[in-house]
Amino acid sequence: MPIPGVARGGLRRTYDVVIVGGGIQGLALAYELSARGLRDICVLEAGYPGCGASGRNGELVRSAFSSVEWATFFDASLRRWRDLSVELGFNVLFTPAGYLVLASTQEELDRCRGFAARHRDLGLVTELLGDREVRELAPALNPELVAGGVYQPDGGFAHHDAAVWAYARAAARRGVEVHPFTRVTGIRTDGGRVLGVGTTRGEISTPVVVDAAGGHARDVAGMAGVPLPTTTHRLEAIVTESLAPFLRPALATLHLLGYCHQTTRGELVGGTEQNVMEPATSLNGSLRGLRDMAQKFVRLIPQLAGVRLLRHWAGIVDVTADLAPVLGPVPELEGFFLDCGWVYGFMGAPAAGSLLAEAIDSGNVPELIAPFSIERLRAGDYIRESSLVVTLGDA
Amino acid sequence: MLAGKVILCLCQDVTIDDIDRAVSLGYDHPETIKRFTAAFMGPCQGKACHDAILEAIAARTGADPSSLRRPTARPPALPVRLGILAGGEPADAPPGAGASAEG
Ligand SMILES: Cc1cc2nc3c(=O)[nH]c(=O)nc-3n(C[C@H](O)[C@H](O)[C@H](O)COP(=O)(O)OP(=O)(O)OC[C@H]3O[C@@H](n4cnc5c(N)ncnc54)[C@H](O)[C@@H]3O)c2cc1C
Repeated sequence: MPIPGVARGGLRRTYDVVIVGGGIQGLALAYELSARGLRDICVLEAGYPGCGASGRNGELVRSAFSSVEWATFFDASLRRWRDLSVELGFNVLFTPAGYLVLASTQEELDRCRGFAARHRDLGLVTELLGDREVRELAPALNPELVAGGVYQPDGGFAHHDAAVWAYARAAARRGVEVHPFTRVTGIRTDGGRVLGVGTTRGEISTPVVVDAAGGHARDVAGMAGVPLPTTTHRLEAIVTESLAPFLRPALATLHLLGYCHQTTRGELVGGTEQNVMEPATSLNGSLRGLRDMAQKFVRLIPQLAGVRLLRHWAGIVDVTADLAPVLGPVPELEGFFLDCGWVYGFMGAPAAGSLLAEAIDSGNVPELIAPFSIERLRAGDYIRESSLVVTLGDA
Repeated sequence: MLAGKVILCLCQDVTIDDIDRAVSLGYDHPETIKRFTAAFMGPCQGKACHDAILEAIAARTGADPSSLRRPTARPPALPVRLGILAGGEPADAPPGAGASAEG
């Protein structure tokens, strides 16, 4: 039993819903399906729950994005984060310390002005800040990199492992079986519908399979004969020794392509991206990535030059051409659902879980997730989001 | 019971009792015990304590200690100042910077 709540018994031969992947996405979905009254749900996880990107991420939570699609969906998620600890009966350590999207140039500040105006129209609570206000909010930042930004006072961060454990326990309490160390090796289909899955622990029959396999989502979709237009990338992150408080809000820098926050334990946790995100599946950090992070964080927060790096790690994500997730049914294969393509899948989990559960249960895809269909990728009808700090280079 | 107060992980003050508690709550895998107790996550990343911690897990779960794999130690082997990695001059440690294996 690697974490509380995982199943102790064997696999049954039949379930109503099989979710492939016990990251935060698969677990949140399982919890939400059971909250809607569905029974006989299982989550199959190749390792221990949270061993994928869900236990390796930067933990940041915001809805201050530029596009209507991202901002409205992630705002639904942010609202859930506020009460998630109470709802799940486990402290996920959500800390609404604020979230700053930092602009370092006039062009970036103009972009931020555009987002902030859209946020007002959409009912999001954000403020456009000038350079002086940002310096007051985050005095540790290098003033040369401060032109202003968009500030979201109720954004922040949560603890990634705690969120995984909270969803796993809450799902288990409602009867979901979470099976660790159980890899899905095949998906059986016939006549355009799902029949079951093969696993390292035997065959299962089920009419509904959800692909929530994170960095392996394309492989799992491939098992069902569904080509997923994604590529797998490695994101790297670092953590420093603990320091006295020096940075309150979580922050993303448009200029340096990086994000970070100071944890409640005092460490700085963050990551950066380079201009080209190269396809990679290794879980080892790279020297190039480490140097990029060291240089950018020291430039952004000069006092970090004297601070010791403790660990450097990586996680993998399977991403789409527009870096937005793929959520919902697959038209040609009844019973097969996608919950993948996640780059911001930690912050997005509460809303994705409940909205996708609604789609599976009711057969109708809710408006907030409809834009994230696989059809948009097939049609090349990409969502345009310009406040991201990850990039596919020329994509 | 004083024996339970014995500190196994010196970086993060993790005691035998902490390991017992983690296992009895259901965190009984070296990777999840790392995440639950923060053992292996300090400046030494378990270099000083991994045998003692894996033995404590084995004692509580009945697993064979040699079957338990230590969580991957991440680079760097010793904590390194970011200024050095960034290629610039190392600055003085700011007030409040904690002690670590390096100094
Ligand atoms: C360094 C880094 C920083 C990040 N920062 C942020 C951030 O600040 N905020 C944010 O919102 N997001 C962030 N992310 C992204 C976020 O971590 C992911 O989008 C999110 O965790 C995705 O959750 P998931 O459940 O889909 O995937 P995962 O957590 O990867 O889970 C997928 C699971 O599927 C399992 N699996 C795979 N194949 C199979 C199979 N065949 N059978 C059974 N199980 C299988 C895997 O073992 C894995 O546990 C970051 C990611 C990284 C790596």
